[in-house]
Amino acid sequence: MKILDHLEEWLIASLMGAATLIIFIAVLHRYASGLAIPGLQDWLLRLNTSWAQELTIYMFVWMAKFGAAYGVRTGIHVGVDVLVNRLDERHRRGFILFGLLAGALFTGVIASLGADFVYELSDTSSTSEVLELPIWIVYLAIPLGSALMCFRFLQVAWRFARGGELPVHDHAHVEGLTEDAAEGRQ
Amino acid sequence: MNSLFIFVLLIVLMLTGMPISIALGLTVLSFLFTMTDVPVQAVALKLFTGIEKFEIMAIPFFILAGNFLTHGGVARRMIDFATSMVGHWHGGLALSGVLACALFAAVSGSSPATVVAIGSILLPAMLKQGYPKSFGAGVVTTSGALGILIPPSIVMVMYSVSTNTSVGKLFMAGVIPGLLLAFFLGLTTWVLARKKDYPRLPRASIAERWRAFQRSVWGLLLIVVVIGGIYSGMFTPTEAAAVSAVYAFAIAVFVYKDLSLRQIPKILLDSAAMSAMLLYIITNAVLFSFLMTSEGIPQAMASSIMDMGLGMVGFLLVVNLLLLLAGNVMEPSSIVLIMAPILFPVATTLGVDPVHFGIIMVVNMEIGMCHPPVGLNLYVASGIAKMGITELTIAVLPWLMTMISFLLLVTYVPEISLWLPRLVFGN
Repeated sequence: MKILDHLEEWLIASLMGAATLIIFIAVLHRYASGLAIPGLQDWLLRLNTSWAQELTIYMFVWMAKFGAAYGVRTGIHVGVDVLVNRLDERHRRGFILFGLLAGALFTGVIASLGADFVYELSDTSSTSEVLELPIWIVYLAIPLGSALMCFRFLQVAWRFARGGELPVHDHAHVEGLTEDAAEGRQ
Repeated sequence: MNSLFIFVLLIVLMLTGMPISIALGLTVLSFLFTMTDVPVQAVALKLFTGIEKFEIMAIPFFILAGNFLTHGGVARRMIDFATSMVGHWHGGLALSGVLACALFAAVSGSSPATVVAIGSILLPAMLKQGYPKSFGAGVVTTSGALGILIPPSIVMVMYSVSTNTSVGKLFMAGVIPGLLLAFFLGLTTWVLARKKDYPRLPRASIAERWRAFQRSVWGLLLIVVVIGGIYSGMFTPTEAAAVSAVYAFAIAVFVYKDLSLRQIPKILLDSAAMSAMLLYIITNAVLFSFLMTSEGIPQAMASSIMDMGLGMVGFLLVVNLLLLLAGNVMEPSSIVLIMAPILFPVATTLGVDPVHFGIIMVVNMEIGMCHPPVGLNLYVASGIAKMGITELTIAVLPWLMTMISFLLLVTYVPEISLWLPRLVFGN
């Protein structure tokens, strides 16, 4: 379980970082190859970065699917909790549990729909436009990500049903502020 | 009938408190399985292609840039700079609060984070100088909302995604209304402070101002990189976002040294999680709007509104009321993603400019964050100021009134939003 947690975190963080670098390098490349430096320019022009955009999109699709699963574990998905929070504790727990199970249901359905879809695609020879990756590998993110998300919903629901706490993400949290605020008060 | 079913189901599901993305998705699924002959396969395809747009990728990049730059000392530097510029006027510290909020919010892109970052430093300082707590809390709560109007703005990217409007134009269109609103909020502060005779700070010398500017300039340049890059045509908005993320990284680690390299993975992870959450809402909102379009709901609504003879003025008023109401229960990105595809066709039929309509929506979102009963900024501010919501609601009232008048101004004077993009991009 710990390994899965770490793998998930490691995967989305590195996709995020790598995608940023790729686009940055592609932009640099576009401007650098406009500079008339003999030798360097020829070499740069021979490099082709047209794949950068497509690769970034796919990296972000993967990041989005697995990040959403990570988000379930950390409680980052926002909902309309105005009404529910005014209910008494017993009813509130009921509604939260219902929400979590609904999440599991939706992601479960999507995972199976997605698996079906990918299975059909794997029979065809369609590839992505620039990179020419088999398209079913790219789209594998949907069933895998959704299945993981479904698992996370069930995991959170199970813990919550047994009296545990619900993970809550603080959307107003600013990292590294506490020391700074204290410094300001001195 | 069908449209009624869709909306009732969506609203009921959302009110149970489940994530908005899930509520959207379940609505679509239950509709598909029970009452329509749109093939499920078409939906599966939408699910894959929903976020395959390069424009959307600006969102994770901007979030990453914001997370790099909002760590640690940037809020402090911006407050120092703002104080050195406007501190000597009536209500000096409060005025610098407005300015610092505008700057910080533009860079961070998050309203509640701005309220916390600026508020937790500025409020204690204001109390020490003898300001009443309610005054400080009111200023910070409302000014913190400026961020989504001043580019780079994630909410604007959301709007552009759901209506196919140019992100570059929207960003340009946000500049003047953003500055104007900051000015109006400052004016309100100044008038109130003058009447109550709140303390002023000693005037900062030119040298002090220059030093404060130098310390904060690296953060401020982020806005210049984005606006300038898009304006000059050097980058597309998504590329500008990626460049600003790398820029923010370099500044935070090598220039300001607020971050050590060991903290980078954590920031990447946090930004990825936040982006994934938003992208997940986008995916499901795309599904939802696909369902609505295939049922012809926006078109039906457009023609029924045309038949009512509301006209542009009446329609925009209804839109404003509707959005302010929605602002009570949802955060801006979700509102834009759900409402824009419905309202947009009506707006264009009535001859409202798409870019102008986007700005109207964004200003509504800003107000939605600060008005009772449940504006997000209000909640966050009540936490740091240790004031109850009712008390705080009274405290924000003067600024809230200013914002609502500003909303009417922006709604009915399209030139405020459209002048700059027309100047830059032509017609």
